[in-house]
Amino acid sequence: MKGPIRKILVYIDGTEQSITAAQYAILLSHATGAELTALYVVNTRALNDLVNARIFLEIEQEEYQRDLESDAERYLKHVKSLGLEKGISIETDKRSGTVHQEIKNAISEKEIDLLIIGELSRIRSRKDEFYNESDRAMRNAHCSVLIVKDEERVIDLFEEI
Amino acid sequence: MALVDLIEKNVIKIPMTAESKTAAIDEMIEVLVNANKISHPGAVRQAILKREDLGSTGLENGIAVPHAKCDEVDKLILALGISPRGIDFEAMDGNPSHLFFMILAPPDQSGPHIEALAEIAKITRSKSFYKLLITAANAEEVVELFHEE
Repeated sequence: MKGPIRKILVYIDGTEQSITAAQYAILLSHATGAELTALYVVNTRALNDLVNARIFLEIEQEEYQRDLESDAERYLKHVKSLGLEKGISIETDKRSGTVHQEIKNAISEKEIDLLIIGELSRIRSRKDEFYNESDRAMRNAHCSVLIVKDEERVIDLFEEI
Repeated sequence: MALVDLIEKNVIKIPMTAESKTAAIDEMIEVLVNANKISHPGAVRQAILKREDLGSTGLENGIAVPHAKCDEVDKLILALGISPRGIDFEAMDGNPSHLFFMILAPPDQSGPHIEALAEIAKITRSKSFYKLLITAANAEEVVELFHEE
């Protein structure tokens, strides 16, 4: 395979924006022949932070971790089936830890050359506290990053192939 | 969905008038009803109180984060309330709570729910931002504080 895009990683977090990002990643994989991996990170760092901040009880931490594990399976399965609909085989990868760090690790381990993420917050803030995990992934990734916008156009394009 | 995307003028109540924990919860739910974010306040109230029964979400230093998973909503929603006088929310330090974040999420969106709560946890560590928030004059000022570039 030639060209600048050979291995794509799309980050899935369960939001509509991340599913749109997955559809766009499938489109790109279809157009370029690039290998595609979908990654979900069970945010155990946030769960620990919430227990430390006493926003969560330990019983909630366990319950939400089970929910996240189940969300990971469900959303990755959904993305895999979206790929199969279009004849694209998608490798799925479920990890646990700090989201932006795990995305960075996956990029490095899999020699990814393009990270695709869903639309970021439209509101810019100078407060670091308000950067979410997609913001952090974008800022920390060592490869090129593509941010998918215009959901309606992506859906139309996805239906065309 | 970042936390700042959820902060809109119509989901902010300042000043809150409630004088008790349950009245504060009801006041926040009313904000969400008025903002057309929920249509069945009874179900939301039940979900929030069920969580509070496990232990108060009144944290230290004047912040309370009542939250629940709830079938009533199809996406993550938030209400923010400020009580300059303070409300007894059975906080762990025994002090009145002044800043209230109510977060509701559908059961199948635990990821965004946890991320929003984690962002609130970061805010709770910033005493200066907390002071700015609880001394804000109105909802516009609160929105500006969050959106400040």
